[in-house]
Amino acid sequence: MANILLTTSCNRSCPYCFAKREMAAVTTEPLLSWDNLIYIADFLKAEGQRNISLLGGEPTLHPECVDFILYLLERGFDVTVFTNGALSPARLKEFKEHLVEVAFERLSFVCNLNDPEQTPAPEQEKERIHLFLSLLGPWTIPGFNIYRLDFKLEFLFDAINRYGMKRHIRLGLTHPVPGGQSVFIPVDQMRAIIERLFSYREWFDSFRVTPGLDCGFPICRFTDEELGWMFRLRVPSHFSCGPAFDIAPDLGLYHCFPLSNYQRKSLLEFDSLRQIDEHFARLRDQLKCELPGIYAECDGCRAQEEGVCSGGGLCQVLVRFWQEARIRLPEIEDELPKNNLSE
Amino acid sequence: MNSLKIICPNNKRLLKGLSGYRLAVRVKDPAQAVEAAALVRDSGNDLVRVIVDSEKPFDQLTFLEDQKPLPLAVITPSMGRFRHLAKGLNLLREMNLCLYLPCGSPENSTALKILSSLGVKGCALIGRGPTDWEALTDLMTYALLERVPHAAIEPFAFIAAHYDPLSTLNWKEVYFDDPAQFLHMDSKGRIALTAAELGQRRFIARSIDEIGGAADVPAIRERLQEWRGYFVKNHPCASCNGWKVCLGTFSPPPPKENGCAGFFREMIEVIRQYRAQKAGGE
Repeated sequence: MANILLTTSCNRSCPYCFAKREMAAVTTEPLLSWDNLIYIADFLKAEGQRNISLLGGEPTLHPECVDFILYLLERGFDVTVFTNGALSPARLKEFKEHLVEVAFERLSFVCNLNDPEQTPAPEQEKERIHLFLSLLGPWTIPGFNIYRLDFKLEFLFDAINRYGMKRHIRLGLTHPVPGGQSVFIPVDQMRAIIERLFSYREWFDSFRVTPGLDCGFPICRFTDEELGWMFRLRVPSHFSCGPAFDIAPDLGLYHCFPLSNYQRKSLLEFDSLRQIDEHFARLRDQLKCELPGIYAECDGCRAQEEGVCSGGGLCQVLVRFWQEARIRLPEIEDELPKNNLSE
Repeated sequence: MNSLKIICPNNKRLLKGLSGYRLAVRVKDPAQAVEAAALVRDSGNDLVRVIVDSEKPFDQLTFLEDQKPLPLAVITPSMGRFRHLAKGLNLLREMNLCLYLPCGSPENSTALKILSSLGVKGCALIGRGPTDWEALTDLMTYALLERVPHAAIEPFAFIAAHYDPLSTLNWKEVYFDDPAQFLHMDSKGRIALTAAELGQRRFIARSIDEIGGAADVPAIRERLQEWRGYFVKNHPCASCNGWKVCLGTFSPPPPKENGCAGFFREMIEVIRQYRAQKAGGE
């Protein structure tokens, strides 16, 4: 699955954002051009891909966002747009004129919503999100990024009912950016996050809403009962990391937002999806040789060996490696003279 | 039926006076196309093409089901916004239509790529005003070497199909500007060799009756042999690698190598790759 970044600009500044600084720093073109879009569409079409996700920044800030969506639909792709829903009146008007006749199966939105109490937004932003959801609620899945232990989900159930949104909530963990400063959930708080999430089980059941877990949740931190409940609801869960990849406006290619600086390539360097998959597999293997996962017990874990769980997200693994290496290396160096291993 | 094809205006009196010709008729708007085509046929002529020469962007033109059987060449200054075309794309794909855009701007080269990738045939109007050679090189490469099937983009498809390193090639016929095949008529029935000369009122005959077969007319014969003058004058174009495709169309050549010379040199290399690809696939 390819994620295409239409722009690196955003009109919000969420406290947990793990994309903004890195995207602005490394992307040479702020807006995806038509020529690059056609190149990407041809590349994916030749590889038999059917689905494309459009990301940002905030993708709807791209002046030709509507045209790009219509173009990709015409090329035969099913399109998912990841948005914050805070569209300008002019952009919302364009959406109303050109997109509301598109079938739900072909076009969908994931609207990243913040808790109005824990992450307050300006009135204008709230009004814009309200207008967006009033128009496109039935096309839209609410998305929520967990960045603190006391997160609340009540407002999402309210939004689903109020705007007739799809009965599903996409839940993402905020991830660390190696070398970055963004707020994220530390790996030792995973269980607390999962317990908090499952405290909403009755809400999910009574509102007939399913949760969807984005990447980075380690399977070992769930109880069998929790896994059983998710299994019965056919909850889409990603205990593995990948295989989606992101394509920046300048055709830069990387594993995911937190790793946008790590072993970044260009789409122009690849002739097929297979080559891209192999590249990312090598990247994962390199790290996993050093550290199998985010916990010590990932080493030798059956779920990991059988590919059910990747031992947390690759970005979390990289951060652990980076942090530990800084501690371990001086120790090793200190030991060298004692054992006559240095001059 | 006369072998000459005549490009003439949509003029009732004029068309009724012609019979037994192969005609392409010029109109300003697609809405006039069906009536103009009927007039050509009812007068006992073969319809070669309806040329819609509009000053509006392509997205501002309206096409209808009854235009589907017509061979349409639509010349517009730009594509306009894709969003306005999206709903009508199915009809455009079903039509026998080719969109001509001048290639002085990268936007028009991109527009031809967009439409081609969606199955709508296009043509880059090279040499009408300034040319963005870099964008044109990208377009030519896309037209001939892209990884997924798309509609043809002229004149590249024509050149790739007909280029022969041992012979010269006049690819202006895709612009209806090859005097061996096309003559241009004004509303008074006067004849010019090219569309540009028609605009400049440079006529070679006062009526079509003065002209028999193309080769019989000195003006046409001279025009077809005009390229020889480049060798007589030892013009730099005559020693250019792209000569056999270009035939001095863009003389005097731009001083820099990345102008027309670089473009046509690149094109010949791309055609070689294109043919190798085709041969490998068959």
